[in-house]
Amino acid sequence: MPETDYAASTDDNADIESGSRIVPLPPSRLNRALLAVVRIGVGLLWLQNVGWKTPPDFGRGDPPGGLYLSAGYAVSHQVLPPFAWVMDHFVLPNFTFFGWMVLLVEAALGAFLVIGLATRFWALVGIAQTVAIALSVLNAPHEWYWSYLLMLLAHLALFATAAGRYAGLDGVLRPSWELSRSWAARLLVWAS
Amino acid sequence: MGGAIAGVGIMNPNRAMNPYRALDRAAMVLGLVSIISAAFLFVHGTFQLVQIGAVGLVVAIVLGLLAIAAGLLAERTLMIAGGVAFLLAGAAQLALLAGGTSGFLGGNASTFSLWLGLGAGLIAIGSVPRPEMAQEMPATD
Repeated sequence: MPETDYAASTDDNADIESGSRIVPLPPSRLNRALLAVVRIGVGLLWLQNVGWKTPPDFGRGDPPGGLYLSAGYAVSHQVLPPFAWVMDHFVLPNFTFFGWMVLLVEAALGAFLVIGLATRFWALVGIAQTVAIALSVLNAPHEWYWSYLLMLLAHLALFATAAGRYAGLDGVLRPSWELSRSWAARLLVWAS
Repeated sequence: MGGAIAGVGIMNPNRAMNPYRALDRAAMVLGLVSIISAAFLFVHGTFQLVQIGAVGLVVAIVLGLLAIAAGLLAERTLMIAGGVAFLLAGAAQLALLAGGTSGFLGGNASTFSLWLGLGAGLIAIGSVPRPEMAQEMPATD
């Protein structure tokens, strides 16, 4: 074996022994398909659950229901007192506006995660929305807190793996975005 | 940018014949998803991911077929037209929901979400410029 090869091999072994070199997973068809399944599954979670956000009152009434009831748990079953204060003083009194915001954000989450467009950006939005939901209902009756932790972890995985590049539109469109000089394309490269 | 994409296609042997084929296939897949979503007219309960009414079923099938045709014909204009139509249908569904009912489309916010995704996806695919094939493809004889 030539000396240079031996040197390289020694370096490789040292890297592996020190744990500084991570061997990436092979981009097999199965791995790509599994990442696509996770992304589409998480997208469908949002897509289906935006369905019970019903305008124009979003469940505000007597008795309260739907989204208003869930949001109210942030105050009646506090998780984080500052968050409960914000909900009590700003969100619940202006609930029509916040209800529409929730509907639009969750509809967009479902839409873009399912088709895999700007997936890393929407994974971050999903993390933020999951945290908001968790801070509202984590202490509510009959809630399983691991549900929200699992949601959070799933979105972290989508972000870390850039899951829209596998059987998603990010994978199809990134080559054109990378070659474009427009600011929108540069933004989409970052977001995908 | 179109020429640059052609360059990417040439570098990638899988896409060497036509670098835009993946875009056309993606449009067809979105159309297929729309047609499949029409089946939710007959699904109720836990696994009803999307609420589809009778008129919504027509929207899903007609626009789905339009997206498939756009992909088969590699017609960017048709893709964008289909995308805009999905967005308009989604906006109409949202406006009906704001009035407190599902309205004539018979959907809910999930329907809006689905049509938003299909519309945005088709517009994104159709917005990728393509050169005239006659100018890009070298003579073979």
